Amino acid sequence: MSYVVQRIAFSILSLFILLFVTFLLSQVVAGDPALIAAGPNAGAAKIAELRQQMGLDQPIFVQFGIYVGNILQGNLGTSWFTQQPIARDLMRELPPSLELVFLAMLINLAVSMPMGLLTARFAHTKFDDAVRLVVLAGAGLPVFWIAIILQQVVAGNWGILPIAGRLSFSNRDFSGATGFYLLDSLMQGNLNVFIDTLAHLALPAFALSLLFTAVGVRITRTSMINEFRKDYVTLARAKGAGEGRVMFRHVFANGATPALTVFGMQFGWMLGATVLVEEIFGRPGIGRYAIKAVTQSDIHAVVAVVFVVGVVFLIANLIVDMLVYALSPRKQRAG
Amino acid sequence: MRTLWTYARTNVERTALILAAIVILLAIFGAWLAPFDPTQIDFRARLQAPSWEHLLGTDGSGRDVLSRLLHGAQITILSTLAVLSVVVVFGCAVGMFSAFVGGPIDNMLMRLADVWLGFPPLILALGFASALGASLEAAIWALIFSWWPNYARLTRMVTVDILSRKFIASADALGVPTHAKVTRYVIPNAFDVLIVQVTLDISAIMLAISGLSFIGVGAQIPMPEWGAMIADGRSYVANGWWIVLAPGLMIFLTAFSFNVIGDMLRRELDPTSRRRQP
Amino acid sequence: MRSFRTYVSLIPLALAGVLLPGAAFAQPSGVLVIAENETPENLDPANATNSTVNQLLIGAYDTLVQFTAGETQVSPRIATAWEISEDGLAYTFTLREDVTFHDGTPLTAEDVKFTLDRLQAASANVLNDMGPFAGAEVVDEKTVVLRLSEPFGPFISALSRIYIVNKALVEPHMGEDNARQFLAVNGAGSGPYQITGYSPTEAVTLRAFPDYWGGWDGSHVEEVVFRYVSEPSTQLSLLQRGEVHIAPDLTVEDKLALMDTPGFKVDIGAAATPLFFAFNTAGEGPTSDPEFRRMLAMTFDRELHLEQVLMGFGNLPDGPLPVGWLGHEPGTEAEFDLEAARALVDENGWAGTNLLVRYLPAIQEEQRAVEQLQSNLSQIGINLQAEGMTWPAQAATVTSIETTSDINMLYNFPSFPDPHAVLNTTFNSALSGANGGYNWSQYSNPEVDELLNAAATSSDPEERAELYRQVQRLVGEDHVVITVSNPGSVVAMAENVSGYVYNAAHHQTFNYMDISLD
Repeated sequence: MSYVVQRIAFSILSLFILLFVTFLLSQVVAGDPALIAAGPNAGAAKIAELRQQMGLDQPIFVQFGIYVGNILQGNLGTSWFTQQPIARDLMRELPPSLELVFLAMLINLAVSMPMGLLTARFAHTKFDDAVRLVVLAGAGLPVFWIAIILQQVVAGNWGILPIAGRLSFSNRDFSGATGFYLLDSLMQGNLNVFIDTLAHLALPAFALSLLFTAVGVRITRTSMINEFRKDYVTLARAKGAGEGRVMFRHVFANGATPALTVFGMQFGWMLGATVLVEEIFGRPGIGRYAIKAVTQSDIHAVVAVVFVVGVVFLIANLIVDMLVYALSPRKQRAG
Repeated sequence: MRTLWTYARTNVERTALILAAIVILLAIFGAWLAPFDPTQIDFRARLQAPSWEHLLGTDGSGRDVLSRLLHGAQITILSTLAVLSVVVVFGCAVGMFSAFVGGPIDNMLMRLADVWLGFPPLILALGFASALGASLEAAIWALIFSWWPNYARLTRMVTVDILSRKFIASADALGVPTHAKVTRYVIPNAFDVLIVQVTLDISAIMLAISGLSFIGVGAQIPMPEWGAMIADGRSYVANGWWIVLAPGLMIFLTAFSFNVIGDMLRRELDPTSRRRQP
Repeated sequence: MRSFRTYVSLIPLALAGVLLPGAAFAQPSGVLVIAENETPENLDPANATNSTVNQLLIGAYDTLVQFTAGETQVSPRIATAWEISEDGLAYTFTLREDVTFHDGTPLTAEDVKFTLDRLQAASANVLNDMGPFAGAEVVDEKTVVLRLSEPFGPFISALSRIYIVNKALVEPHMGEDNARQFLAVNGAGSGPYQITGYSPTEAVTLRAFPDYWGGWDGSHVEEVVFRYVSEPSTQLSLLQRGEVHIAPDLTVEDKLALMDTPGFKVDIGAAATPLFFAFNTAGEGPTSDPEFRRMLAMTFDRELHLEQVLMGFGNLPDGPLPVGWLGHEPGTEAEFDLEAARALVDENGWAGTNLLVRYLPAIQEEQRAVEQLQSNLSQIGINLQAEGMTWPAQAATVTSIETTSDINMLYNFPSFPDPHAVLNTTFNSALSGANGGYNWSQYSNPEVDELLNAAATSSDPEERAELYRQVQRLVGEDHVVITVSNPGSVVAMAENVSGYVYNAAHHQTFNYMDISLD
């Protein structure tokens, strides 16, 4: 149990550092936030008033206090350009991005796990070398480039999958309780929308997953190789267990858990990488929102995106670590 | 250089070494090799398919794509090196400091690095770029800002490992000062691990820089940065495929080469990896 | 009070009577999808100077008077008639009786006054074109008086961007921000279409309002969707697949190709939206030197731009005012002459100067123009750096002289076809960027201001024309801007779109309320 407490304490500490870093980020902003916030028609008096309102005339640690207080109340500030509470904006933009990342992660796991296991089992064979090459190539692909090419070739020239958007036009009125269309459509029993959502997700999710899958295969392989080398595997083999049984019951079950930690971290990084694909595929989402916020110098919105993505990262890691802990009793002694 | 060549065991690794060497040579001499001015527009010659005059065709403003690629090599390689050198120096300094000091400061620094690493680098870089305005320099600073903890952690790990070895205890007994321990023991021992990491990071940083330029917060027009070239050619992907294809291939080939070399170096140099060899 | 007609001649008032509700009710049907490359800031009528906002609001709100697409003069809308006091300082409007907002509340004079009061309180951009507007007064439920502090010729035309909001709905949300947050995401209008869906990174949906006062005569679409697609190539694919009907932001090459492709058509509207390189005349930088600006003014090849960037879609500019407009003065801007510019650079030792230009990379023409200028300047030893931004960010940089870059690129979208809307907006010091206007050169010349103000208050076309000619000569001598182009409005669409007409007073909008799909 102490591990769980420790782990949660670490998450809280991390959250605090996250707050601090994002606060610093909002402070290094070139230019005067009040000036930009005031908009194009403000006079000096209005700007001074805003500066006071935003707490910009306070000492820096007081400003940090105000910042933390606001965030704890769920207040991420108001976007200077959408004029809306950023928290509300992000609640709208997060589900489509998370949906994309979930699917990309699924592709990643579906490829990484078996390929990792197989390359570990057949390490240093021609097969392993070939996969290694593919993996090294995958890790060198510019995500945005491959996204453009997939869009142009698969969707444009071949006409197989949708070019852009989140849903087909005929389904434009669809809405659901969670904002995750895959989930909402299933809950409403609307198979048509489910398939449509999936079709729109396919290309962006695939493009997004490539780089991460390349890393995923390597990590899983390393983790599995360590497992193959353990005594109990030799023992199981000596006892005459079939190779299939050794691979799946023993090596895979145990070797997958350390790799899970990395996949947990990848989740957050993937969310960050949505900035490279969402715009290309014309999807709404946090990546597109982030680019828009940056190019509009909407500093509060940018900082909020950094913060929220950081929080998602922390949560994903916490969940994965808890999962790993629950899966492996040996972890208890180690941790 | 010759050592590198002897490390290569497969043709792929040899090819990667040659490719990487070519890219580095292009970064140095590419500007002289370019047949045209990379920023000189010629609207009348726009969107020409590859031909003998323009080996890689022309872009939407009639500029020679090959010349832009050649000039772009320098931009890409130099900005990657700029990021790496600052990150390595700063990250290693923090890492060694952390390892030597130990205790709560060490703990705190490493926690900071852990959390910092949690930020997806692109998002963090975006945040930073928004503060600095859109330019290649801003993108470089942004990546430095988000990348240093990698090296802080790595160096700390290596340093702690070295400091725990027996020869350090005897050095301590002889009264060897800290700076001497750093130059005599830590840096030489950390070098191998670092060189592997640096090689692998070249491709990651390159991809990040071109990604930032692609979304418009990095290199600005008319700079022929490869990611920016892809962004610029995007509108013409249907009737000028070469504009997008060529810079993308260059990024890919360069990144792939350095990945292969990094992987090779890890096999040859990294002690933890060597132990894993059966 | 004696009434007289302004120089803006009125469409016969009888026209309003033609559109009686329920005359012949044709059910609107079908869905029109319009692609758009830039997402809107918000839905606030206070931001209607921005075309991405204006294109959504134009059918969702009503105005007192409006430019019908294709016409150059306003016609009555909510106002059925108006009288102007002899001194030109009071405009009395009589309002229609039968107008209701989308929530069923009747539209009255109170709503008009509230709308204008709110815009004043929020110091909204749309008021920049309203000249010396002072305030509104309610006479009775259907009569409202708008007062000016001095006479202002184009006042009636300027009212075409004042979208009337529902007081009963908006007032409770006024708060500290003058209901900016509320109106940013909520509609409060009485127009033929009602905003029903707003997801600013994806799409905005409008639906026909069944109880529209104008009725639903003729054929119209039931639903209009603005779909935000930033990439020209994606817009093209979507158009080809039939997923969007109107695609305004394709590359010129693609538009040319579509002209000859069956199933598509390309509308070319005679736009009058000059594109400027505006030199920072007020800062500390090199562009504050008129001689340096004279050199810069000679470094842009407008003919090449028209021929090769616009592929001929547009008119060659001759000075800031579009050719053929009232008071146009030819030959005020320097001709392209790179050798003369080079001589000036050598003479003054300007080689090696660094300049910064800010522009919108989302607009292909702007990017190409910047590249063109960069390329020419580099030949004479001047380094022009570019920074690509979005509209709100660029607009924010010109709010102070210190943050204004050496050169800014911007279009002038005149809100009515009158020299005032181009020249006053671009050169009056009262509308400098630092004062919240579109004079991004931060140009301040008392003589020019005086001429512009005199022209605005005069109602004699001959006198105005002469005043504007003088303005153009002075501005030309000061080399305040390079007028890059007068691009045409080239919009590609599916062949079954009928009724689209370019509206010069609302550039980059679509008259979706008049469009049907065959």
